[in-house]
Amino acid sequence: MAMLKYTINRLVRGVITVLVIATIVFILMRMLPTDYFFTEEQLMKFTDEQKEAALDEAGLLDPLGVQLIRFYGNLFTGDFGTSRRIQNGQSVVKVIGSKFAISMRLGMIALLISLVLGVLLGIIQTAFKDRFLDYLGTVYTILVNAMPSLVTYSLILVFGSRILGLPAVYSARTNTIASCVMPVACLTLASIAGYALWTRRYMVDELNKDYIRLAKVKGLSQGQIMWKHVLRNAFVPLAQYLPASFLLTISGSLLAERFFSVPGMGPLLTDAISKYDLDVVQTLVIFYAALGILGVFLGDVLMMLIDPRISLTKKGGGR
Amino acid sequence: MAEATKSPLESVVGKSDEELFSFVPYDAAAAESIGYSNYSYWRSVFQNFMKKRVTVVLACVFLFLFIFTFIALAIGKYDVNNLTTNSAAAFTKPNGEYWFGTDNLGRDYWCQVWYASRISIELAALVACGEAIIGVIVGLLWGYVHALDGILTELYNLINNVPTIIYMTLIALIVGQGFWIMAISMIAIGWLTMARNVRNLVIMYRDREYNLASRCLGTPLVRILSKNIFPYLISVIVLRLALSIPNTIALESTLSYLGLGLDVNTPSLGILLRNARNYFLAYPYLLIFPAAIVSIISITFYLVGNAFSDASDPRNHV
Amino acid sequence: MKKFVAFMLALAMMLSLAACGGSSSSSSSSSSSSSSSEESSTETEVATSGAKYYDTINMDDSEDAITDLVIYQVTTGEVETWNWLNSQSATDFYVLTNLVDGLLTNDTKGELCANLATEWGTDDNGLTWTFTLREDACWVDCDGNYMADLTAQDFLTGLEYVLNAAKNGAANTSMPIALIEGAEEYYEYTAGLSEEEALALTAESEEFTSVVGIEAVDDYTLVYTCLFECTYFDTVATYNCLYPLAQGLLDEIGVEGMQALTYDTMWCCGPYTVTYFESGNEKVFEPNPYWWGNDEYTRFNSVTEKMIDSNDTAYTLYQSGDLHQVTLTESTLTTIYSDTSSTYYDYLCEGVRNKYSYQIHFCYDKYTEDGEKDDNWNTAIANEAFRKSWYYGLDLTTYLARTNSINPLSCENNFYSMSGLVYTSDGTDYTELVKANLGLSDSDGETPARLDSELYEQYKAQAIEELTAAGVTFPVEVDYYISSSSQTALDTANVLADAFSECFGDDYIVLNIKTYVSSLSTEVRDPHLGSIYINGWGADYGDPDNFLTQEVYGDDNAYYSVYYSCINDFYGEDGDEAYSEELIATYEEYTALVEAANEITDDLDARYEAFAEAEAYMLEHVLVLPCNYSVTWELTCVNDYSKIYAVYGSQERRFLNWETNINGYKTEDYEAFKEEYYS
Repeated sequence: MAMLKYTINRLVRGVITVLVIATIVFILMRMLPTDYFFTEEQLMKFTDEQKEAALDEAGLLDPLGVQLIRFYGNLFTGDFGTSRRIQNGQSVVKVIGSKFAISMRLGMIALLISLVLGVLLGIIQTAFKDRFLDYLGTVYTILVNAMPSLVTYSLILVFGSRILGLPAVYSARTNTIASCVMPVACLTLASIAGYALWTRRYMVDELNKDYIRLAKVKGLSQGQIMWKHVLRNAFVPLAQYLPASFLLTISGSLLAERFFSVPGMGPLLTDAISKYDLDVVQTLVIFYAALGILGVFLGDVLMMLIDPRISLTKKGGGR
Repeated sequence: MAEATKSPLESVVGKSDEELFSFVPYDAAAAESIGYSNYSYWRSVFQNFMKKRVTVVLACVFLFLFIFTFIALAIGKYDVNNLTTNSAAAFTKPNGEYWFGTDNLGRDYWCQVWYASRISIELAALVACGEAIIGVIVGLLWGYVHALDGILTELYNLINNVPTIIYMTLIALIVGQGFWIMAISMIAIGWLTMARNVRNLVIMYRDREYNLASRCLGTPLVRILSKNIFPYLISVIVLRLALSIPNTIALESTLSYLGLGLDVNTPSLGILLRNARNYFLAYPYLLIFPAAIVSIISITFYLVGNAFSDASDPRNHV
Repeated sequence: MKKFVAFMLALAMMLSLAACGGSSSSSSSSSSSSSSSEESSTETEVATSGAKYYDTINMDDSEDAITDLVIYQVTTGEVETWNWLNSQSATDFYVLTNLVDGLLTNDTKGELCANLATEWGTDDNGLTWTFTLREDACWVDCDGNYMADLTAQDFLTGLEYVLNAAKNGAANTSMPIALIEGAEEYYEYTAGLSEEEALALTAESEEFTSVVGIEAVDDYTLVYTCLFECTYFDTVATYNCLYPLAQGLLDEIGVEGMQALTYDTMWCCGPYTVTYFESGNEKVFEPNPYWWGNDEYTRFNSVTEKMIDSNDTAYTLYQSGDLHQVTLTESTLTTIYSDTSSTYYDYLCEGVRNKYSYQIHFCYDKYTEDGEKDDNWNTAIANEAFRKSWYYGLDLTTYLARTNSINPLSCENNFYSMSGLVYTSDGTDYTELVKANLGLSDSDGETPARLDSELYEQYKAQAIEELTAAGVTFPVEVDYYISSSSQTALDTANVLADAFSECFGDDYIVLNIKTYVSSLSTEVRDPHLGSIYINGWGADYGDPDNFLTQEVYGDDNAYYSVYYSCINDFYGEDGDEAYSEELIATYEEYTALVEAANEITDDLDARYEAFAEAEAYMLEHVLVLPCNYSVTWELTCVNDYSKIYAVYGSQERRFLNWETNINGYKTEDYEAFKEEYYS
């Protein structure tokens, strides 16, 4: 019962947050110069009257309050509007719907690979702590974090296409494994490092605890200690971020998707802003905010489920 | 206890009590003297830090790099503000005349790279300091003052749940692009993480007994925060600071790639990297030089930050 | 499923091919005349078109020709709308022009030729225009299934859709409103109606037919009535505002469906249909089996267009054989060109110029950033000797090298109008007339034709003398604005600044590079902050009038006069600047010349000659300074000279009769093509 109340409380607050965010972005978008409403050719050839007429027709010359009320009116009837230039006339839901499946598929593959490899690397590093393999892992982690992704992606592109002969652009039509390799590689490279770093960190912390010493004294084998105690306990803080990571695969990766022409969600937001596709921007922002909030909430719940010592309801939220 | 662990056990075994113990005579002066340790927090930090040779070397490397950005511009053969285009010299590989080669317009790359490095380091340092100052102050209040918790948590959710890219895009398109705009907008978003980390730690230490005692004794809030709690935070703050610098550079290069970075008249490493992306297949040196500098900065900060953070943790001082 | 349908279709074609035997050509003519038994006629059409298509593939003389073409487009150029009546973007029409035909099209040199209309003309100097349509055109859906015949009525439906404010907004109305009788009235009328009432109107409504100057005399004859003697109305017929629309499609999906048209809901009447589309990734064109032009044109078996982030990635794909044409970036071009042993050294091809004629526009009413009139610049630029010193002294070669580093002078532009716009009756290009009027010699390929150091020194000395007397201080500062986020613009501006300093010397004229945040028009143009702007004008229709009237004096519709040169505001508040009289007189004279030329409607050659005189007058007095064309280098398996060249309209990307060579063309091949093209 307490849990139900807590959930409702969290969700209501989440919805309010999302609406406030939507309002802020709504106002910010109206501050953009209206030039973005037009294509380059239109800017070139349209007279001021024509521009005004076009803006008026789109309802952009109305007072901000009127526009805002109209926006909420549509929103509460479930109408997210139509795309204007991303895919003219299509409903925003449809535009996003066609894109997010692709992002999610690539993202999920990447997430699974990096989770498995990252945690594995972390375990290996802990097992061989302060030895060669540990240092090797650390060097990898640092290098990946140190280089801007712009550079690493370029290197992957060159290496993959020149030396391995992989296709340099993703093909949604044939959807061959080969054409997914490079985007997925880009997505996993950094997150493997991330998972390895945190796994190692939490496991080393766990290793230093007293109960592990007791287990050693008791005569448990190194393998058993690592598997039964260290890893499981170290996984608790890691698990907190998993739902968010899964949900965020939907939002795609801006750079990786641009590089390999993956028709996913990643570049959609910036494109929509620069094309003044207001309804798309608005929906994406709501969507992302909702995902973010939901991700954190699910993370908390998951952590509570796997670690009985943690209780959300007693502390009363605020996480 | 300390004595016992130091001396080997064998030296004690098998000896009689008389051999092991003797009476201490009464000494009035010794009885009056009070315990004194010449412990200084910052000295300990420094000593601990200096113990790690590798990171000391790296710190020196970074310092040298930063100083060198000034020297490099002075010793270079061309003035970065006065470069002229020369299509005949375009894409010259590094040589005696052009130490880092030339770019697509035949302009000296050496001075551009170093000038850009300086701008990027300045930007990153500025952002890191801004984040730290705002983040720590807000974080301390957020964690310590109950009344603020609700509001700040909501504010955090509000800002944190909108993709950074949308803020940056809107700022670039509405306000413009420039060094200060970039710095301020990055700080405006970056302080959140710092504040959040600080807040979580403050909550941990807030209700420890010694703080309760301090409060009972009427110690002012500012003093509790700055003397009782702040020292525990230093290691985390330093780590975040150190990580913020590579993050800023990476974010800046991503934004530059999207055309939302600094304006073209303030070349940064991000802009050089973005430009080099178009050329590096044929002219890898255009990518290697700025990428190497970015990597050196990031790696040194990462390692130095970690070491300094360990060193600044008072629990490691004894 | 689609593949299965296509397969069945192919099978059907093969079978009927076998059944029809060799009588395909005769059945073709019979099918077009018989319209009574619709079903049987379409069946024979399947047979004939199938047979023809089959033949063209097999008969292709060169075995090196590509049958399945793969091209690319930079990601930002993705199709935004499939509604061909609503689209106002050139990149949309790179795709749509292959799906929907217009009345007329262009040939490889840019001259008009038959498309859906086989014959066209005017008997009254351009007041009414009659188009005779072909009888074998029809609509198909995206899978190539026959949907309906295409008749003259479809053009009425199309124009009604465009002009109906409730259906199409204001998109694409400007040209019909300017040219066609009653178009403006009808647009205003629908804009005044409630949405419901306006949507209820159709091309058969009395309100439309009685007002707008378009009439379907019979199923295959279409007559337009213009507002004035419009000698160039036929060139507008290549433009999508006059495209047809099937009433059947409109009935099927409604106006809402039309606004949200997609590749798989639309009907096509052009040479291809799009059978696969993933926004931002890939689209596939396949031949329309019912297209009327099977025996006149060769088409590809399929055309795949990939969306690619950058030209560099495209180059990588070209190397691996996954693309058939790639535009080279500066660095790749330099690399290949500087290494004679490179695989592609012999394969560098210089492309065909694009359709824009770039000009340096002067602002005659410039303000400083504090909102004061910039008297120094305004006085200087109003001086003719000063402007002439630009004309004779400014060597733009290094600037041109930014677009074309190997042959900068192929980008040299000495005219205001675009070449290939119109031809006289003996086939002379209009710009040749301007050239004769200007007395320009042919460029020798090394220095730009109009440079003349003697005249430059003479005019410079004269300008310095006159302007010093007028109180102008030297160097004259030129403010040139670029986008603060564009590295390419900055590089180009730097080159331009160096060219200024090289040609004029830092004590005469200096170029200041300034930046704007997001909008050139609101931040720079409207407050009159820029001294010069470099802009390319793409023609709306095929007449010099479209270029030249943009610069006339005292006309609110003259785009450049109003927004860039600001010549109409020239007198400013004080109105007493003595220096301005000469400039205004020049502008008035130019305007008079253009108006006089526009009066000539009965003799096109005389009309073009008169316009050429006006243009030469404008250029002699350097009211604007021609800057460049855009010609880039490429590696290609496609002969660009075999493509449609269209200065106006939207026909340039039709995949018809493209000559291809799977092994890639060599430099000398392209030189031969070029020579043949210009001879």
